[in-house]
Parts: sequence; structure tokens; C-alpha cells
Amino acid sequence: MKLNELIQQNNEKRKLLTKENEKYYTSMVVYLRTDLTLSEQHAEEVLMEMLDHMIAAQNEGKTAIDVFGDDPKSYAEELIEQLPQEEKRDMVKFIGQLTFTLMGWFLVSRGLLLLLFTSFTTVSTTVYMIPTLIILTLIGLIVVIGVKLIFDLIRRSLFNENESDKKDMIKAGLFGVVSFALIISANMFIPDFGSSFDFPASASLGAGGLMLLVSWLMKRNNK
Amino acid sequence: MSIRSQLLKGILDGCVLAVISKEPVYGYELSKKLQLVGLPDVSEGTVYPVLLRLQKKDLVYGDMRPSESGPNRKYYSLTPKGIQALEIITNEWQQLSVPVNSLLKKGDSK
Repeated sequence: MKLNELIQQNNEKRKLLTKENEKYYTSMVVYLRTDLTLSEQHAEEVLMEMLDHMIAAQNEGKTAIDVFGDDPKSYAEELIEQLPQEEKRDMVKFIGQLTFTLMGWFLVSRGLLLLLFTSFTTVSTTVYMIPTLIILTLIGLIVVIGVKLIFDLIRRSLFNENESDKKDMIKAGLFGVVSFALIISANMFIPDFGSSFDFPASASLGAGGLMLLVSWLMKRNNK
Repeated sequence: MSIRSQLLKGILDGCVLAVISKEPVYGYELSKKLQLVGLPDVSEGTVYPVLLRLQKKDLVYGDMRPSESGPNRKYYSLTPKGIQALEIITNEWQQLSVPVNSLLKKGDSK
């Protein structure tokens, strides 16, 4: 079965579980899905088998603890240990698609903002290559670190009931504030230098739209 | 992990291969059959990490088929390598079980 169908079916079938069983099972789903090194296809396949099993066992009056034991974290880690890794080729595709999506939205937003502002003031549409590259790299790094940080927070909070939620929220919020400040100050303090070119709103919208189209096509081909 | 469950883990591979060698089964059936023969301490979910491990070692393979109860299930069968592995495990077990049994029984009676 294709990946999308598996995930969709999983979402549907999960509704059949009781509240407690659903909670137990879903935490394992999240734990496996936030491990980005795993082969998604294989992980979703075994998750589907476990879900079918859980539904059948539930009909016999069993709980998730009866089926998968009282230590869901070690159980999930045992699965991860045995699951194959995602192939490099698929990883590259995934990261490429993500980059196109982010860049696409970035350029489209830039185009729209320029259009908005030029209607009542003059804005420079000149782009300096090196400073722009530095800022884009910074944004890319922040996205990567942010995803990793938030996934780590989620994974750690999944299986323990104690309320470290508030602390985690502060951590995530702090990361947001710091990264925002970094990007803004990079924008303000990196001087314009090196080669530059004019990049008007229309070109920005066009290039952004094209990138979004490419990312959409990549996504569709993966299905 | 207790010593007991480590011992069980090693033997479980052989048991799972033996069940699958009789006829292709899906995970739920497999766990039922293991419980039916009287492996008590095996929680049902244990079969999934074991099945993943056996697939990784290329001893079993799964394919999707419609089941009796309707929906598609992943049915597991032995690969040629799995058939070989089961033979080896069976031989080793037979060589071990008789002496170990008599040894442990002797220990008991003291």
C-alpha cells in the first residue's frame, strides 16, 4: 500500500480505539514518525499491523497495556532498532522539496509585501547576493535546529505523564524569540556589499510561484 | 530485562519461524498461535519487533493479502534462508533440550 493511503487509513481506524488505547497507541505513532531517519514506508506498515492488532484485541476486552506491555517507550525503541533507515535518495528528495516550498513561500510573500508597500512609499527592490545568501543560510539553519528541538521536546514528553509541558513551552517559545531576533538583526546589521541585481515584485512572485509549483509536482510524484 | 526474558527472546525467533513454516500468518494470528501452544510470558505485541528482526535478517517476508475477516493483512512466509535457519535452530534445540532437561531436573531433586 502507498504511504499516503496507509497514513489516511491509520487516521480513520484510530477512531475505533477507546480513549486510553488511543492515547497509548498514538504516542507510539508520534514517537516513530518524529524519528526522521526511519524508512517511513516500513514504519507506517508496522504501525498499521499494530493498529489492526489493537482493534482486534480491544474487541476481546484487552487494553493496549495487555497487548504491548507497560513500557511503551522501550517497545517503540525496540521497533526503531529493527526498522530499516530511510534511503539517502529519499532524504535528499524530502529536503529538496522542503527547500522549494520554503523558498517559494518566502519569494511570494516578498513579492506581495513589495506590491503592498510600493503603493504608498518607495522601496528598494535591489538584492545583494552575498548578504542575502548569508540570511537564507541562517534561516535554513534555524529551521533545521528548530525542527530538531521541537521534535526532541515532543519525543521526551510523550511517555512521561508529569507536567514538564510548561517548561517545554517556554523552551520552544524562547527558541522562537531568539531566532526571530537573529534574523531581524542579521537583516539590519549586515551591510549591503558585493554584486547586486534588481529583483522587482513581479519577478519575486513569478519565481516564488514557480518554486511552489515544482514542490507541488515533487510531492505529487511521490504519492 | 530479566535473564528469563533474554532466554525467551533467543528461543522466540525459532518459535516464530516454526509457526510461520506451517502456513503463512499475519501478526495477530501469530501471537494467538504462540499463546495457544502455551508460551505464557509473551505479550502479544512482542511479535512485531521479532517479525521486523526476522525480516531484516531476510528469514521471513510479508505480503499484503485479503484476510478471512475482510481487510488486507500482511501475511508472513519463510524465505529459503528462513527455512534453513529453522532447520538449524531445530537441530540445535534437540541437541540441547535433552541434556539441559535432565541437568535441570537433577538440580531440582536435590
